[in-house]
Amino acid sequence: MIRFEHVGKRYGGRFDALANIDFRIRRGEMVFLTGHSGAGKSSLLRLLMRLERPTRGRILVAGHDIDRLHTSQIPFYRRQIGVVFQDHQLLFDRNVFANVALPLQIQGVEPQEAARRVRAALDKVGLLHRERALPIELSGGEQQRIGIARAVVNKPALLLADEPTGNLDPQLSADIMRLFEDFNRIGTTIMIASHDLALIARLHHRVLKLSDGRLTGDDATVEEAS
Amino acid sequence: MSAARTPPSNQRQQGQGSRQTKPRRGARSQRTGVNSQLRAWARHHRAMALDSMRRLVRRPLGSLMTMLAIGVALILPCALWLTLDSARLLDAGLEESASLTVYLDTTMQESEAMQMASTLREHTGVAAARLVTAAEGMVEFEQALGLEDALMRLGTNPLPASIVVAPLDTSPQAVHGLSERLAEIPGIDEVRLDLAWLERLRRLAELGQRLTLALGVLFGFGVLLIVGNTIRLSVENRRQEIEVVTLIGATHAFVRRPFLYSGAWYGLGGGLLAWLLLGIGGQWLSAPVQALAQSYGAHFTVPGLDWKGSAALLVSSTLLGWLGGWVAVNRHLKEIRPR
Ligand SMILES: Nc1ncnc2c1ncn2[C@@H]1O[C@H](COP(=O)(O)OP(=O)(O)OP(=O)(O)O)[C@@H](O)[C@H]1O
Ligand SMILES: [Mg+2]
Repeated sequence: MIRFEHVGKRYGGRFDALANIDFRIRRGEMVFLTGHSGAGKSSLLRLLMRLERPTRGRILVAGHDIDRLHTSQIPFYRRQIGVVFQDHQLLFDRNVFANVALPLQIQGVEPQEAARRVRAALDKVGLLHRERALPIELSGGEQQRIGIARAVVNKPALLLADEPTGNLDPQLSADIMRLFEDFNRIGTTIMIASHDLALIARLHHRVLKLSDGRLTGDDATVEEAS
Repeated sequence: MSAARTPPSNQRQQGQGSRQTKPRRGARSQRTGVNSQLRAWARHHRAMALDSMRRLVRRPLGSLMTMLAIGVALILPCALWLTLDSARLLDAGLEESASLTVYLDTTMQESEAMQMASTLREHTGVAAARLVTAAEGMVEFEQALGLEDALMRLGTNPLPASIVVAPLDTSPQAVHGLSERLAEIPGIDEVRLDLAWLERLRRLAELGQRLTLALGVLFGFGVLLIVGNTIRLSVENRRQEIEVVTLIGATHAFVRRPFLYSGAWYGLGGGLLAWLLLGIGGQWLSAPVQALAQSYGAHFTVPGLDWKGSAALLVSSTLLGWLGGWVAVNRHLKEIRPR
């Protein structure tokens, strides 16, 4: 599904945020990305979202070199990726329903079909009863779950999350991770950047460890053993 | 279509997500793919037209100010154009008014004058000739000046008979040549041609046309700037929204759309205001202008926009607004990169 081939990313020509990153993620895998602050986790995810381009190496997604995508194809590429942000990036001028419906609106899904899928996604994150609420009226955890509902509403093949549990209490963090595992169970490939080592350790998934822009650990054995 | 253009295959994902519905949905989307895309496109246009309208209405004062600025910018070129148009200075047939006035010797009898008129009619280069007898000339003169009896008191008629000659070729050189040839005919005292006046008028008309064009371009540019600046602010206000929708796969066209509609609404509103103000201004000026014209014995009505002119004004102001929106958004789409 995802393949990094000796990928390097250099900002401003001075230092390498990422250097010689080489790994492969199979379809349907769930992978954590860890590392100290500034290790390059966000940079790696931004490369995958095609927000940045690698300065060296290749990134293949479903067999295609995403650096070779034409500008006009990028939106269509991004539609196949669900993204969960640490600060959830909800739009505060519209209600929960409209926020979750946004990706479907962008893709021009018929309103009835869109409403059905939005409700299904909201139901999945347990917030169906809040569809008329404004994001500002929700707690941090609820906002994060709305962000997840928006990321999965069009059933993306790949789900990326950058610190999705960054400022949530342990109980909520565990709930959200369980949510990701549910999506993974129905076949979604998932990559989650997180510092929360204790939580990651409990979940027994593959862990990619970055330090100073290098891949220093790829603990793929845990999952295969279990 | 999107599956062909994009690397990760959604098909399989859908199959994994909802095994049962996959074949049906696949068949349906193939049959009505283009159709449903078109419908989605139209739906988004409609939604954005309404949404941007709602946003304008939500800040009535600010929107009105912007529209008023656009309206004021449009009024000046429109008013100038109307004035020139009504003064016939934009008339391409201006040259048709080129004519020569041939003054006959004062000693000439009326029968001889008639003879002369028919001679001139035969003359090469003459399209038509109309005799104005001394008496007729007097009447015209009196009427033009409004001096009913004043000249009667002179007793004798000091005016000569004259013949108004319309040349075949109305170019300045030809008319000039004709006048010289006519002046040599015995019995003709003087040939007056209004070429200098005509030439001046033509220059004036050209100046007016160029001025209107220049002002039109200048103020059209002004409208672009007004709309562009307003849209720039609203792009800035909706920056987060733009970043988010870009991140989740919105095309530039999708992002641009609401702003293009805002621009078009501003333009249309400005055009309507300009149209209204022109109408009010015309009404306001019409009484004094008519009184003034009447004092010269002329009939002159203050020009107004007919339906064609009104349509042209509204369409061009709307297009200008749309274009202003386009320029503003495009400049900013480049700057706005999702974080
Ligand atoms: N746009 C940028 N321009 C210049 N340098 C950048 C840019 N983005 C990231 N960096 C640098 O690249 C390095 C990696 O940053 P990145 O955000 O990927 O780290 P991270 O692992 O996500 O850290 P954190 O856990 O704090 O979010 C950092 O040293 C950062 O300063
Ligand atoms: Mg980060």
